[in-house]
Amino acid sequence: MNIMAKRDAAGEKAPALLVIGYGNELRSDDAVGPKTAEAVEGWQLPGIRSLACHQLTPELTVPISAAQCVVFVDATVDATDTVAMRPLAPAGPDQVMTHAADPRLLLRMAKDLFNRCPPAFLLTIPIENLALGEGLSTSAREGIQSALNLIRSLVPTPNFETQKVNS
Amino acid sequence: MSKRILIDPVTRIEGHAKISIFLDDAGNVSDAEFHVVEFRGFEKFCEGRPMSEMPSITPRICGICPVSHLLTSARAGDAILAVAIPPAADKLRRVMNLGQIIQSHALSFFHLSAPDFLLGWDTAVDKRNVFGIVAANPDLARAGIRLRQFGQEVIEILGGKKIHPAWAVPGGVRSPLTTEGREKIRAWLPEAFATTKVALDLFKKVLSTHEKETQIFGNFPSLFMGLVAPDGSWEHHGGKLRFTDSSGSIIADQLEAKNYAEFIGEAVQKNSYLKSPYYTPLGFPDGMYRVGPLARLNVCEQMGVPQADQELKHFKSFGRGAVTSSFLYHYARLIEILASIEFIERYMDDPDLLSNHLRADAGINSLRGVGVSEAPRGTLFHDYTVDENGLLKKVNLIIATGQNNLAMNRTVAQIARHYVRGNNIPEAMLNRVEHGIRCYDPCLSCSTHAAGQMPMQVELVSPDGSILQKITRD
Repeated sequence: MNIMAKRDAAGEKAPALLVIGYGNELRSDDAVGPKTAEAVEGWQLPGIRSLACHQLTPELTVPISAAQCVVFVDATVDATDTVAMRPLAPAGPDQVMTHAADPRLLLRMAKDLFNRCPPAFLLTIPIENLALGEGLSTSAREGIQSALNLIRSLVPTPNFETQKVNS
Repeated sequence: MSKRILIDPVTRIEGHAKISIFLDDAGNVSDAEFHVVEFRGFEKFCEGRPMSEMPSITPRICGICPVSHLLTSARAGDAILAVAIPPAADKLRRVMNLGQIIQSHALSFFHLSAPDFLLGWDTAVDKRNVFGIVAANPDLARAGIRLRQFGQEVIEILGGKKIHPAWAVPGGVRSPLTTEGREKIRAWLPEAFATTKVALDLFKKVLSTHEKETQIFGNFPSLFMGLVAPDGSWEHHGGKLRFTDSSGSIIADQLEAKNYAEFIGEAVQKNSYLKSPYYTPLGFPDGMYRVGPLARLNVCEQMGVPQADQELKHFKSFGRGAVTSSFLYHYARLIEILASIEFIERYMDDPDLLSNHLRADAGINSLRGVGVSEAPRGTLFHDYTVDENGLLKKVNLIIATGQNNLAMNRTVAQIARHYVRGNNIPEAMLNRVEHGIRCYDPCLSCSTHAAGQMPMQVELVSPDGSILQKITRD
């Protein structure tokens, strides 16, 4: 069975940088991930693609496998009070997928399914408030700004070009 | 001295849940319960908000079912405005719902359930997952992702945003399908059909080697409820409600959703935040009914599209009147995917979808509105009561998964009775019990409006609190 042939042969443009920000926008500070992604999208920079998601799901492996670099942005309540970005490796074989996937699972799936797993980072923004509601705390808004500065440091120089992904 | 086994949480479903299995002194299963530990209080949170905001608020209950809440919420808003929406808007909403059915069912089949019945119940847990599918059949794994992508694309082409499209509003929708969007959808169709047929062939082979599972994974008499069209055809967005029993007899038909309180009661069970709806004329718990793909195919007389109708005939051959085995939910999902693709193909030839006549404008003309739609997991109700300014005074959501709660309990008990024995609890047996829950593809985020995960721990606990056995899944 080779259902994929036509789509691969058509070719798709690969972004140099893919930002995936995820979280529930109705759980107060949990929105920092999607809000960061929306801000990156607002930069309108060539070669940068940004996705705001409620949660990570398997079809994200398609754009992940095509990107040159991926940054996942998520809220955290378990860390110190600084925004941090750390490299991510693909998951091991014993990790389970549910409706909401772990970013390492998606990296592993991209590698196993599409033979490509780009360098990836998890950017975590510490938050205070997960209660039902809209609106970000001051610290969450500051965290988003710090996160955007970190993402900006990954943006390639203006002269870089996107690549075509060939089958 | 009875004992209790906990499976906490159930893997590969959305949200928090645990299963308790109670053993008697002889080591036989005396009872079992599926119960949920999370609570969110979404309905109270909405009180005081403008009704018009609900289509953008309620989709954020869950990242898997947002479209279902969006469309049902819009229908409740239609009722409060007391409008009949333009035909083009109704068709567009239907196309979006069909996209939702495809993407949700694809996730359930390929990623959440297939590892069990394709790789084997006794396969080690580090292989019995989506990576095991990738290793065993990478083409199938890719095709499953692509099928889900197709459903998501339909939603995005219409709504402009995959997860929370604020596109359906009380009175209609915000924008039509474009000619470019229509061509994009058409281009996907051959692949979507091909993948679904591969999956159907594969699952029919599974059925031929899983007769035991078909017999004991949630196979018991119950009522079934779903929407039907006026001619009894499969319906997913519109129509009226029908109840059938396990002989296939219609016991209530063409019921208006706005009158749901006359025939659906909600019981609160101990040890769970999941409400348990039941058919009130038969009382609790005899009024247990199932919703979702199995129920929709049981209550309808035809799908209304040729390929799915062929499959429906084969599906119905697995029952006497109604198909009662919950293991057949998987087959029903694939048939609904096929029907959804066929209907989308038909809609792409309808020029109405490009129309700009998309909204009916009105003020608050009714202080209460009930919207109903078939979410992938089952019938979803949004019941809003507002004041003269359209501010919400009361919200009641009856979620698909909650309506299957009693049936899930019974399914767990049935499977546990066949597989769990004594003090030794092999993991493969536990996974069969969990799979019984997965047949329903529950979304606990919606049912209790919560999400989260914990490491799994199974404990065999005696009434005096001592732990007889502990199994941990990291």
